[in-house]
Amino acid sequence: MSDGLVNVTQRRGFNLKGGGQIVGVLIAFLVICVVASLVAPQFLTSYNMTIISRDLAFIGIVAIAQGMLLLLGDIDVSIGAIAGLCGIVCTKLLVDAQLDPVLAISAGLAVGAIAGAVNGTIITMFNLNSLVVTIGMLSVYSGLNLWITKGRTIVGLPKEVTVLGGGTLMGVPVPVYIMAGVFLVILFLTTKTVYGRRLYAVGNSREAAKIIGIHEQRVRITAYAVAGALAGLAGMLLCFRLVSAQASMGQSWLLPSIAAPVIGGIATTGGIGTIWGALLGAAIIAVIGNVIVLGGVDVYLQQVVTGAIVVIAVALDAITRKMGRG
Amino acid sequence: MSLLEARGITKRFPGVVALDAVDLRFERGEVHCIVGENGAGKSTLVKVLTGIYRPDEGDLHYDGETPPAIGYVPQELNLFDHMTVAENMFLPLENGALFRRKTLEEAARPFLKDLKMTCAPEDLVRDISVAEKQLLQIARALASRRSDILILDEPTASLTATEIERLFAIVEELQARGTAIVFITHRLDEVMRLHSVVSVLRNGCVVGNSDGEEVSEAWIVSKMTGKEMDLSTLYRPRTPRGAPVFRVEGLSGDGFEEVSFDLHAGEVLGFAGLVGAGRSEVLQTLFGMRKPTAGQAWFDGEPWVFNKPARAISKGVMYLSEERKAHGIFPQMSVRQNVGAGLLRDVARLGVVSNAREAEATAKIIGDYRVKTASSETKIMNLSGGNQQKVLIGRGLMANPRVMIFDEPTRGIDVNAKDEIYRLMQQVAEDQQIAVVLISSEIEELLKCSNRVLSLYDGRINAEIAAEELSEERLLSSIINTGGASDATAANREDAHV
Repeated sequence: MSDGLVNVTQRRGFNLKGGGQIVGVLIAFLVICVVASLVAPQFLTSYNMTIISRDLAFIGIVAIAQGMLLLLGDIDVSIGAIAGLCGIVCTKLLVDAQLDPVLAISAGLAVGAIAGAVNGTIITMFNLNSLVVTIGMLSVYSGLNLWITKGRTIVGLPKEVTVLGGGTLMGVPVPVYIMAGVFLVILFLTTKTVYGRRLYAVGNSREAAKIIGIHEQRVRITAYAVAGALAGLAGMLLCFRLVSAQASMGQSWLLPSIAAPVIGGIATTGGIGTIWGALLGAAIIAVIGNVIVLGGVDVYLQQVVTGAIVVIAVALDAITRKMGRG
Repeated sequence: MSLLEARGITKRFPGVVALDAVDLRFERGEVHCIVGENGAGKSTLVKVLTGIYRPDEGDLHYDGETPPAIGYVPQELNLFDHMTVAENMFLPLENGALFRRKTLEEAARPFLKDLKMTCAPEDLVRDISVAEKQLLQIARALASRRSDILILDEPTASLTATEIERLFAIVEELQARGTAIVFITHRLDEVMRLHSVVSVLRNGCVVGNSDGEEVSEAWIVSKMTGKEMDLSTLYRPRTPRGAPVFRVEGLSGDGFEEVSFDLHAGEVLGFAGLVGAGRSEVLQTLFGMRKPTAGQAWFDGEPWVFNKPARAISKGVMYLSEERKAHGIFPQMSVRQNVGAGLLRDVARLGVVSNAREAEATAKIIGDYRVKTASSETKIMNLSGGNQQKVLIGRGLMANPRVMIFDEPTRGIDVNAKDEIYRLMQQVAEDQQIAVVLISSEIEELLKCSNRVLSLYDGRINAEIAAEELSEERLLSSIINTGGASDATAANREDAHV
């Protein structure tokens, strides 16, 4: 995997951030891994790798979704609640309506896309602050989750789907393959397609984009819809892994979804960074989360540590950027 | 000894001398009007007087024990909308840590009365009229430090005729009380009404300074003109112009009214006017960035639908913004990606961008327009302003436009690159019969490049000047709307090209 990373940064293809940035993140990731293996001997065991990669699968998908929005200078903090909503809807369809898994999962993706598009439409139509709107929508979607489940856990998912969340293929958890697929698709979408160019253009300058005839609203609403669908995918996979659905699912994804792309060099102001950054950032967060557990840090302190790391990473990014300019 | 005297003030910025050995005196009870074109050095002078800039040479002298208190009222509104009139007046509240709302409001009252303002001290600023806001800025300047000198920078820009009269009455009263007033304006009728002394700035030099009888609108215009212009090379298209592309009739919108004109293929049509005269607004409305309130337009004889930029572009109308940094380039993207973003239909197939085609188009632009860049992969923000502009122009031309609107295309661009951009405009008009619109605040640029110039004043067209009548004085008179000023001296600058 690391070969691929180095490769892409050296290629002349898409160096929005300059290769240096992503190489820096990669080095940081490797350093953390080395330190981790020294501190905790169990770190490098295949059992532990499975645990990390499974964590990474979920965080990675939501980080990629949020990364797309950050590239636009947008943000959606309701992404975790949307994930929960999709998981719940899909589970209900499978358990109560005995729907075909393919249809149920499609329905879940559609719910995510619609929820995201609703956010995007409200934000762009009235030109509102995306943070404020999605904080409100976070409450709306979380409330829906409680209402649908009545606060109870839904159980009884069929085997065909639980394998998608809990199964392994050649020793690697199935969600990891799905995340890899998502990553490749979104990487292609953002770097190789017309839509991707428009996304970066709008993220760089909405005004300049409008002047050359880009429909910036459409570009942004589409991104919200795609991000919502991806969050929905992550939420459904979580249900399949837990073999149940409950209202609070996905809530803990908010911080990593924003932190991972930022650690990976995607600027919250838009237009800077690549989806590689979202993936690497997610990997760093997954490893750190794992090391904290292995290192025996008090469970109640784990949040403190992850939060602090995010703040330090953001500050470091701002400092290096300033030095780069000066 | 004067209240304040500037002696030999020189201020240099990289590449320009903004003020060149300026000597000026400011006396008690005088209204000192300062006139000059955009870029003549007026704002630099104000910044030196108020201590924001330290001059490279020269000093300021004053006659008293302590330096005179200077109040400055900037051109743009600079108030806290969600705070009260009284709070705005006395911020930052330097006396003590606590204040009583009532005390503040009582203190504000006399100033409001003095300025004949109708708002109450407890009103929120966002609720008072623009004119009252302008007056509030003056009240603030008077309240915060009983100013010996009051500098007003184009204070009438957003006032109506009656409000202007009120302002003048206040200025005269302050003058009678012995305050020295520095009045910066573009409007010569105001100068004629108020002045005790007039100073004309041009290229950072005081070229006229008088309190005498000779001061007239014509005298001021004659001092303002005469800037050294090299008009030996003109860039006006020499081929005959083609059929009309745009016909605009009675177009009105935010900032302009009743604007009518024709735009022909193969010509360069200049738009002259002061900042805020409504030039960009007219063209942006046509392009679809703003909504018209009245009026019609025809494109190739067909009624023009005022819609979004995307539609105008599909018809072949391109607009290059004056805000190149904010509204032109995508700063963090490479030159190639900047080119591609504007030509996505041409460089992509089935929604997938071909890097090779993008690179090909970019190489062509870099070659054709001699863009200086390390490579097509360089971030566009690392290119000079002139080269950024050439990339944007080249990208626009690749789409085979019918109309190109250049809004201040050479702002912040060095002299040599300017000539290249002029030549480009000429070429596209001559060779491709593109209808070119040039919005510019530089008289020299308009004279060099335009076949025809429309002048806007206060949102209305006040003159259309054909090539044979184009001269510096004619243009300047229409820009500042003095009307009468006829030219004799500059007529001989016209040459055989036309």
